[in-house]
Amino acid sequence: MVNKQESLMAAITFFAKAHAGEVCGSNGLPLTPNSIAILGRSQKLKELRHSNLCQYLDVIRGKHERTVVVSEYHGTTLQEKCKDKLNNDLILRLFYQVASALKELNEHKLVAHNLEPKHILLDAYNNVKLFNYGLFYMTKSGDHVAFPIGNIKYMPPERLVGIKNNCKSDIWSLGMIVAELLLQTQFWPNLKISSISRKILSFCQSSNVFEKIAREHDKLEMYQELDPDLRNLVEQCLAVKPTDRPLPQEILNHPLFVRNLDLYLVTPKEKSSTLLLRMPLEQIYYWWQLAGGDVQAELKKEGLIRSEAPILSIPQVVCLNGNIAGPKRSQSYLMDDRVVILKMQNLLDRLSKIPAMAYYPLIHSPKFPYNFGVGMDQLPLVIREKDIEYQFYRVRLFSRLLQGYPYTSETIRKEAAIDIPPLLRGQIWACLLDVIPNGSYEKIDKFTPTSTDRQIEVDIPRCHQYDELLSSPEGHLKLKRLLKAWVTAHPQYVYWQGLDSLTAPFLYLNFNNEELAFHSVYKFIPKYLQWFFLKDNSAIIKEYLCKFSQLTAFHEPVLAQHLSNIAFIPELFAIPWFLTMFSHVFPLHKILHLWDKLMLGDNSYPLYIGISILKQLKSTLLASGFNECILLFSDLPDIVMENCVVESQKMYESTPKSIAHRFHVVREKELGPFDITPDVTLAHLQKEMSPRISANDLHFMLRNDPNAMLCLDIRSVSEFNRVHLPDSINIPFSNINMDEKSLELLNEPLLEEKMHNRIIICISNVHENAVEFSKFLVECGVSRVCILHQGFNILHSIEPNILVSN
Amino acid sequence: MATTPRSGGSAGGGTAQRPNGTSQSKSCQFKLVLLGESAVGKSSLVLRFVKGQFHEYQESTIGAAFLTQTICIEDTVVKFEIWDTAGQERYHSLAPMYYRGAQAAIVVYDIQNQDSFQRAKTWVKELHKQASPNIVIALAGNKADLSNIRVVEYEEAKQYAEENGLLFMETSAKTGMNVNDIFMAIAKKLPKNDGANNQGAGAGRRLNENENNRQTTNCCK
Ligand SMILES: Nc1nc2c(ncn2[C@@H]2O[C@H](COP(=O)(O)OP(=O)(O)OP(=O)(O)O)[C@@H](O)[C@H]2O)c(=O)[nH]1
Ligand SMILES: [Mg+2]
Repeated sequence: MVNKQESLMAAITFFAKAHAGEVCGSNGLPLTPNSIAILGRSQKLKELRHSNLCQYLDVIRGKHERTVVVSEYHGTTLQEKCKDKLNNDLILRLFYQVASALKELNEHKLVAHNLEPKHILLDAYNNVKLFNYGLFYMTKSGDHVAFPIGNIKYMPPERLVGIKNNCKSDIWSLGMIVAELLLQTQFWPNLKISSISRKILSFCQSSNVFEKIAREHDKLEMYQELDPDLRNLVEQCLAVKPTDRPLPQEILNHPLFVRNLDLYLVTPKEKSSTLLLRMPLEQIYYWWQLAGGDVQAELKKEGLIRSEAPILSIPQVVCLNGNIAGPKRSQSYLMDDRVVILKMQNLLDRLSKIPAMAYYPLIHSPKFPYNFGVGMDQLPLVIREKDIEYQFYRVRLFSRLLQGYPYTSETIRKEAAIDIPPLLRGQIWACLLDVIPNGSYEKIDKFTPTSTDRQIEVDIPRCHQYDELLSSPEGHLKLKRLLKAWVTAHPQYVYWQGLDSLTAPFLYLNFNNEELAFHSVYKFIPKYLQWFFLKDNSAIIKEYLCKFSQLTAFHEPVLAQHLSNIAFIPELFAIPWFLTMFSHVFPLHKILHLWDKLMLGDNSYPLYIGISILKQLKSTLLASGFNECILLFSDLPDIVMENCVVESQKMYESTPKSIAHRFHVVREKELGPFDITPDVTLAHLQKEMSPRISANDLHFMLRNDPNAMLCLDIRSVSEFNRVHLPDSINIPFSNINMDEKSLELLNEPLLEEKMHNRIIICISNVHENAVEFSKFLVECGVSRVCILHQGFNILHSIEPNILVSN
Repeated sequence: MATTPRSGGSAGGGTAQRPNGTSQSKSCQFKLVLLGESAVGKSSLVLRFVKGQFHEYQESTIGAAFLTQTICIEDTVVKFEIWDTAGQERYHSLAPMYYRGAQAAIVVYDIQNQDSFQRAKTWVKELHKQASPNIVIALAGNKADLSNIRVVEYEEAKQYAEENGLLFMETSAKTGMNVNDIFMAIAKKLPKNDGANNQGAGAGRRLNENENNRQTTNCCK
């Protein structure tokens, strides 16, 4: 079982510096809180994976600028460990592995600047991991916090005079740590900070710092007995001039280590007998939270977060310039560097019934079909997303599937149709969009100023800013790069306001993988918004909105009627819906669920989302006039996403493809003579209240599901008698009285019953008649009315013949 | 509330309320449109006027947004039907749909942005040419709270406004300065005895040239 040794994760906490006095920037708007800036910067750290670095798992903002950092943590600190004497090999091993950690940091252009024994962890195999090494980076070289970073004892002279961000400074600290271990003593244990800093500065005059320290601590003998190679290397690390200190790589290549490399390299760990502990740490942490884990509560338990009565912190004096005087918040000014272990027991208990197979699901063996969590997919989505067991199965399954992408595309699609585990959403979406990153993002120019820069710059600070990540300076930079890259990569298109909202969900999900975010947008736009970003997109938008009106009439005839009567046209409210695929009108968490389904549909899917929104507001809309309706949409009320998703899915599946046909889409297949032909212009569409259906779709239904449709043939009786579709009803147009909107006037017995739940196809030889008749039906409140494109005559050409005669 | 639209027509809510809600003799409604470059603060001005709020991170406007607010001057209740348009130049082609038939317009610029002032001038020209001839136009130099870093001088804008017969004020959606005042000034200047403006059936409908007759029989459930 897991004991303290095997505990995996821990949290630390500190306060970001609050902005003093003046809280507005030059634009008159509030400054971004430092804790948000920290949150944005720290994301990058989560990507680091190195055997000598503790993995960063999460950064959380608490109240009053508190920041909580969760990271991997196990084993014992060097501070603990060095209470006993360490043997030489272990010291060398430590030297080597910390250098290897520093090399990794250096490659990511990071510096630790807080290297000290308590940030060095050793596990049972004496493998070394650095802990809390990202503090300096995430706080922007310490700018965002009020406390100094790093233990002065291990700081090189140049840092005391303010020079920072040089990895050679970490090399010095490493040298000091190793020197302490070699001399088996703690330097200056009883000195005050000011005295220590004076000591360190005094080293500037010294030609051999190591020797000087040894002498000072009465360890000269020990110093002299050291292996000369080792002593020399430590001396180099403690060179006063940073340039004289070795680079991490040079330490690693030193003969001292190369001679016996095996002794110093990381020992591979035995696989834990607890399967859970073999899972990726970020997944474990995710489940830990679902199992009820609450980092802030753990910190409270340990007394690291204390609540104080707010009355105690009320200022006594507030000056006009914003300065306040009064009791200081006792905690906020103090740095408490305690580390709180996050206990695993609860999680282990919750997952104790998970079968071993579910940890490594087989996805290609029919003999062992994957059937974990079945039955649970009937639960409401919100429950599934919070259910630890269910998320365990889903995360494991998708992890496997993602590894097999693109070969597993089919299965990913199938599983995504059930639901998408939030932890892996960004990657799964990318698969659904057929993204295969190819390194091209890096090559795109994102920096040369262009004429769209101003617009992008004023839009970004207004784009989903309630979200902490997107409102952080890092988030702004990333969004800007993505938008500029997209514009550069599409010379045929331009930046329309709204592209920012459209890109935001992808950035939000792939904050640490800009390339994936970019390619996702890159694929998303042609799939759903082909040509919407042309400089002149009016033809595309007009067609889209017209189709939207037609589909509304098709699915919601009464509502469509009402909206058209009050002249409530989609141009007035639906442009932001479609141009941004609803990302401008809904908050992120709603967009995610909406897009989960959108991604599985084709370019017509968003139209059904639009209708399902109308549908949800139907009773209000029907009871309202123009002003009330438009007000309703200016500030879109709460839409229940789950219903919206279910409704749109239903309509999407039950509507023949040609009904949603638009000319302006990317087509996988050329259109044939039995499809909607390109001669249908916008002008036609605008005149027709009901959509057209293609002969192909009619034919398909006739063969596969004839009861799904009812053909109303409005040609003359004689034409009908000569030849017609089986089971079609003849209602000669010339006899119809359309003055009153009533089906009874059609004199067709049981017509309403016959039409129930079917797609009503109006067929004529005179297109205008069919248009008029279909409008009449819609006005009578008949749903799912459409017009056969190219009229009855097209049916003659279908082979083999489908027509019959009396 | 989720499904009840904010009614700008009734008393209650908003900042510019009539002091006494009872003995009005006249009431009229006007369609007003806001124009101006992106990010000058059009939506913020409307939000301040209608709800008395200011959002630092006001979302950008795509297409247009519609809001209403009722104020009272002397003995007349004036209901504004406000179209807040998108500022990006590309959305220009939609603008006529909104200013057509408008009785009033506020052209907004940002006092710390010279280009936005030039853009405001072009809007004024376009309105003079294309909008209804009696349209009341106000010029608003917004973000007046930042007047220490202004680039458009008050006098310059004032002079331009006088030459072109515009109302003019510097406003701040952030502090609320002159926001109600500019709407008030417009309301005062608008003709209130003109039958066409009186309690019509939704002036917003004038957006469409072809007015449909209202269907009285709605078989709604
Ligand atoms: N300091 C200050 N900032 C303002 C003021 N009015 C608006 N802002 C800020 O300016 C930015 C743009 O304001 P919006 O109201 O979105 O501008 P807009 O003109 O509607 O922009 P578009 O919708 O893109 O056309 C927002 O961040 C506002 O918070 C003001 O009076 N003072
Ligand atoms: Mg706006």
